Amino acid sequence: MLFVLPQVVGLLLFIAVPLVASFGYSFTKWDLIAPDPTFIGLGNWAHLLQDGRIPAVLWNTAKFILLGTSSFLFFSLLAALLTYVPRRFVGVYRALLFLPYVISQIAVGIVWRWMFNSQTGPITLGVELFGIHSPAWLLDPATAILSIAAVTTWQAVGYGMTLYVAALQGVPTTLLEAATIDGANWFQRFRNVTLPMISPTVFFLMVTSLIGALQLFDPVVAMTTSNAGVAGAGGPSNSTRSIVLYMYNQMFNYSEQLSGLGYAAAIAWMLAILTFVISALQFFVSRRWVYYDGADRGRQRNPRKRRTRP
Amino acid sequence: MTVPNLSKISVAQLSGSVSPRAGFTGRDAKRIATAGYHAVMIIVVAAYIFPVVWAASMSLRTDANMFSADQLIPHPITLAHYEKLFTVLPDFWHYFGNTAVIAILGTAGTLFSSSLAGYALARFRFPGRQALLVTLLLTLMVPVQATLIPQYVIFRNLGWIDSPLPIIVPMLFGTAFASFFFRQFFLTLPRELEDAASIDGAGPWRSFFSVIVPLSGPAYLAMGLLTFVQLWNSFYVNSIYLSSQQNWVLTQALQSMVGRYDSQYGEIMAGVTLVSLPIVIGYLIFQRWIVRGIAMSGLAN
Repeated sequence: MLFVLPQVVGLLLFIAVPLVASFGYSFTKWDLIAPDPTFIGLGNWAHLLQDGRIPAVLWNTAKFILLGTSSFLFFSLLAALLTYVPRRFVGVYRALLFLPYVISQIAVGIVWRWMFNSQTGPITLGVELFGIHSPAWLLDPATAILSIAAVTTWQAVGYGMTLYVAALQGVPTTLLEAATIDGANWFQRFRNVTLPMISPTVFFLMVTSLIGALQLFDPVVAMTTSNAGVAGAGGPSNSTRSIVLYMYNQMFNYSEQLSGLGYAAAIAWMLAILTFVISALQFFVSRRWVYYDGADRGRQRNPRKRRTRP
Repeated sequence: MTVPNLSKISVAQLSGSVSPRAGFTGRDAKRIATAGYHAVMIIVVAAYIFPVVWAASMSLRTDANMFSADQLIPHPITLAHYEKLFTVLPDFWHYFGNTAVIAILGTAGTLFSSSLAGYALARFRFPGRQALLVTLLLTLMVPVQATLIPQYVIFRNLGWIDSPLPIIVPMLFGTAFASFFFRQFFLTLPRELEDAASIDGAGPWRSFFSVIVPLSGPAYLAMGLLTFVQLWNSFYVNSIYLSSQQNWVLTQALQSMVGRYDSQYGEIMAGVTLVSLPIVIGYLIFQRWIVRGIAMSGLAN
């Protein structure tokens, strides 16, 4: 089948084979200087369990995921609720709310570095306007990862909003009217009609944003790099060092006994396993709360089943 | 039908408010509510895009005015920081070119290969179709990092490190995301289109290129813009493969200023503005296509 040939070759060459090979590399030690990797058995995997930096890296990423994903889901829905009813200028509002999403995370991170600046940053000055002593945001280990999560949420809200708007406009008005006639107030209508109807979108955004959040890298580099370049990112006190940043540092750092490509491959596989387990868990739990029988959307979701086959 | 056509809905229904509470309140009360809504939205949106606007504004201020609150529209306006930026990053336009080459070639390749794959997945029955579809969806869950190291080794053996090839070449084969996107789009086109073409004697290639492609402009545009923006903005993969300074892309050049020029906000913000400007202008022009593409891609769930 010539049509799918490029995509199939691409999948094999750049996904399937490397994925398996990556697992192979995780049993070796290699610094790219030696001509070939050395087989060291389970050395890297054992090191993964003993490496004192791994729990911190996982915890940093977990904090980012919990703060980032939940605030992203919440604020995108809020933005969508404010803009889904078609009326004058609503398109302008949506376009501007979406704008940060198209700018690179590096550029956004650099701008927010200054927003959080402890002397001249608008966030700091804004907080102090209320007479509260502002935290040092990116410079304080207690608030650094929270600040980064806030920035990624700020940047992604427009994306989430766009999908929520499409979902909200698909909620059948007949259902909402029926609920109104039955005496439901706006909160009851939202809770019992709107929310179940848009739950597939909530679920989709949750799964995809979690997968993305597990790969946190660019924002950390942009917001925490000191003059040491990418290698110096992840501070203060390594409080923002994410899984991917740690893998990056281990990949090109050959100074430790086990660092190098082999250990980086083990970290990458750990990340892949984490991604898969977390996604699978969400699919499993989703049966309890995601409602798939929305009249129109349900049909789109599984077009195969209802199409007459050729 | 699959595509929630946001812009058309809003244009068609601009005149009448569809607020569920419309019937319960008087005309004046409704007007006040509308005004209140717009007041709230203007404040929210202004606060929301403040960092973007303020950064651009800082790049045009004199150093003395850099942190003054009354400088939203800088007075006087100076281009000094832009001049200085080109002494800090003398190869700026070179990086611009590197980025454009990666973004253009990568986008073109992805559109070509993924639309072919998407078309086959939407229309043809062939052995392994179901498996391919499932594999594509599973691929969306595989982190780039998990395939990175063997790829790095392959490209190193090919002598491609420090060239844009490791970034462009995989894109030429299409991406799982784009293939799935095109499949979803082609499913919405009526089959009668090809039936008519095949009665006229056109084979699958002909009917794809002369019937389907011309009708799929919106999908190509939407996916093309999404891919282009993603490639233009990417940093992680570039930072792995493009090590020497002359081969950098814009995000790497920008990142290199962090730390070294931290106190020179004018130059930093000038860099941020120049790197983002092409994308922001493109976004403002093609806004509805990008948004439609995003809304369409959401149907992957």
